[in-house]
Amino acid sequence: MSLVSRLGLGSATLAGWALAAVMVAVVLWLSNFWTFVFSGGLAMAVIALSVGVVYGRTGMVSLCQFSFAAVGVWAMAWLNVNTSLPFLVLLGAAGLAAVPVGLIIGVLSLRLRGINLAVATLGFASATLVVLRRNSFPGTFSNQPIMRPRWFESENGYFLFCVLIFGGLVGLLALMARTRVGKGWLAVRQSERATAALGLSVTHVKLAAFSMGAFLAGIGGGLLAGQNGVVSNRSFEPFDSLLIFAVSVLAGARYVDGAIAAGLLGAVLPELFRKWGIPLDVAPMLFGVGTVAILSRGAEGAQGQLRTQWREFQAGKIQSSPQTVPGPRFAGQSANAGMGVNAADPLSTTSLCLDGVSVSYGAVRALNDVNLEITSGQVHGLVGPNGAGKSTLIDTITGFVQPTAGRIELDGIDLLGLPVHRRVQAGVRRTFQQGRTIEDMAVGEYLEFASGRRLGAEETESILSSFGCPEREQQISSVDVATRRLIEVAGCVISGAPIVLLDEPGAGLGENESRHLADRIREVPATYGCGVLLVEHDMEIIRGACDELTVLDFGEIIASGDPAVVLANEEVVAAYLGISPELAGESV
Amino acid sequence: MISAALSGLSSGGAYALVGVAVVLMYRLAGVMNIAVSVFGAFGAFSMVSAFDGGLGLWPSVVLGVCVGAATSGLMGLVMAWLFSDSDAITRSVATIAMAITFLSVAFRIFGDTPRSFPALFGDSALTVSGVVVKATNVFAIGLAVLLAGLLVLVLGRTRLGVRMVAMSNRPVSAELLGIPTRRYTVAVWLVGGAVATMAPILAAPTRQADFTSLSLLVVAGLAAALLGAFQSFGLTVVGGLGIGVLEAVAVRWDLVSSYRSTLPFLLILGVLMWSQRGEVWDESR
Repeated sequence: MSLVSRLGLGSATLAGWALAAVMVAVVLWLSNFWTFVFSGGLAMAVIALSVGVVYGRTGMVSLCQFSFAAVGVWAMAWLNVNTSLPFLVLLGAAGLAAVPVGLIIGVLSLRLRGINLAVATLGFASATLVVLRRNSFPGTFSNQPIMRPRWFESENGYFLFCVLIFGGLVGLLALMARTRVGKGWLAVRQSERATAALGLSVTHVKLAAFSMGAFLAGIGGGLLAGQNGVVSNRSFEPFDSLLIFAVSVLAGARYVDGAIAAGLLGAVLPELFRKWGIPLDVAPMLFGVGTVAILSRGAEGAQGQLRTQWREFQAGKIQSSPQTVPGPRFAGQSANAGMGVNAADPLSTTSLCLDGVSVSYGAVRALNDVNLEITSGQVHGLVGPNGAGKSTLIDTITGFVQPTAGRIELDGIDLLGLPVHRRVQAGVRRTFQQGRTIEDMAVGEYLEFASGRRLGAEETESILSSFGCPEREQQISSVDVATRRLIEVAGCVISGAPIVLLDEPGAGLGENESRHLADRIREVPATYGCGVLLVEHDMEIIRGACDELTVLDFGEIIASGDPAVVLANEEVVAAYLGISPELAGESV
Repeated sequence: MISAALSGLSSGGAYALVGVAVVLMYRLAGVMNIAVSVFGAFGAFSMVSAFDGGLGLWPSVVLGVCVGAATSGLMGLVMAWLFSDSDAITRSVATIAMAITFLSVAFRIFGDTPRSFPALFGDSALTVSGVVVKATNVFAIGLAVLLAGLLVLVLGRTRLGVRMVAMSNRPVSAELLGIPTRRYTVAVWLVGGAVATMAPILAAPTRQADFTSLSLLVVAGLAAALLGAFQSFGLTVVGGLGIGVLEAVAVRWDLVSSYRSTLPFLLILGVLMWSQRGEVWDESR
């Protein structure tokens, strides 16, 4: 594996690198003035990258990136006046100084989302405006400009310096994006609950995104300071934050090329306009119009939309119709029993015990005194009419709902005191009824993310074909919802967790596929050594897969035991048909 | 102390007006409009330009309100045309883009230098038991209370109001019932723009009146709207006036006096963190 593909950049982008090299050469050949302008473009591109992390990847609207930059530059200017540290150290300090501020905003983002977070960050941007207008940066009046690094003082030199820093940051970001936390950014954007259910702390993921965003913004501000020498307190106004946000949305700054495009749009286009005799401020007008136009077609930005179209084009070349979405295709063979490397040791049994668990929503009792034991090696079915409390039970076990009474223990470990991701790490995994895979990932990538370890190609393909999932390379966004649930099940099972809770994995499947799914789930305990709690409406799957069956009605267990016996129970039939037991006896 | 607090009421009235415009657009058009004070400042700068050009004071105000309403209505048209199916967050991001566009259009037309705005009522004031009450302040409060009351009545008591509330709650159902949702969206933006224009016209004579600063009235307006939970016009007005008074009182406290404009931000934070403290998870289940 070459370094380039190791960094997740793929061979297709090699052409992009060549193009970038040509562009760098061209810029160096330009006059000093234009090289200077392009340095500013790269600095803006770094700030666009920061928007790409916080909004593009993690989906949090932050309208104060230039405030982060201002904090960084402030630290840089102060150090410049009071110490004689070299530029590179000052630049690093600018990035690091912004991080604590990013963390503060990050803490806010733990409770504030969407519009509320936008309001709070805009408020922060305007508050920094007030502070900056009252004060000027250190060294502004004592005439101590920030000096460029010694070997990169010329315009060409500084441009190359910016290229190197930008490249370094892109590499850092690519490495970060390959870590679990970095992948968690994409997961948080889609669903915080699903992120936690994969064993990640949403708090860590969000704080990491804001720290990284603030760090990048601080470095970007530092590069701007080096470009200009003297920093004006008018360079970091809320307008700039709004502008870079809009341009980043427009260009799709989540992607490197999108960020470069955003930087060039923000810094180079206005100068081009000046040269052509068009008023400078026509550029922001166009950005506004362009952003509105792009947004009305979806929120991924120009680069995102181009990518989607490119993928559809590629798919169209392989299959005649690009619309083909492969539904579940059970290959019929079971997963190779020998490959459950990480599977729990079948000799040591793990058990999840629920003891007198009750949940109330106000006056409504969702669960009442539920006792249940799920042990590894068996599939335990859970059925009941709509609203019986099946999903609430899974939510309670995994920590999304706090019980009003009762105890939940995994091999004697009290789960109730633990947050969601800790329970997952302790060994309880779940899937969601709504299907919560991560659209931005390919199937194989998701499996690896869900399993939390490196998976061999053989292992991945074996489990994918056994659960009727599409190819590894398939983007999850192009897969139908029923199949996404199966991918989620595969990810859950392959994680090696001793207890797996599956919430209606068979919803939306056809009769044949249901039967296949039942067979696969029946084999799960033997192959992976785990215990399964299976919530299902499809009796075909319940009959085919379960060793034991529990029936919930109005939050209470009304029957439990051997599936065949339980399903013949009159009370159970009545609960399902919604009539009294006596009548059920007569009608059946 | 009391007269200092009272002097904050004209700013407070302006914040309340922006807040009312924000709540109106959020409730009826499903958008948190960051650009609303940009439209307002656009109207206010048109007003002062007309006034400087020799037009009478009140005709200039009317002209300014019309310009503000028209700009906002124009963008409402874009919103109704392109974003009728979008969620609130996408629409709000779109208003960020609109803010940028109109800010740069305004820099082009008006420049970014502070202008001196005429006081609507000169220095006229009345003295009530030793405390001087300026006519501007009375007007600011009166206007905010009047508009809020009017909106409450229209939305609660008239057929038009009920239809508009229905539209914002279930846009698709409303459209299927034959309610012209797009036309209503534009109307809401028009009214919002007109209300938001009165804010900078009232606030400008007593503060730094460059275009950026007046556009940032939206921050205080958002704080006021938050105090009304983006729902209640009455609480929004009270919130706006309260922020104005708080700022005015803070002038007398040396330590914070020069940074008093950051108070709305701190208030925003406090209110948001309190009201959202239970929101551990996002909405997508």
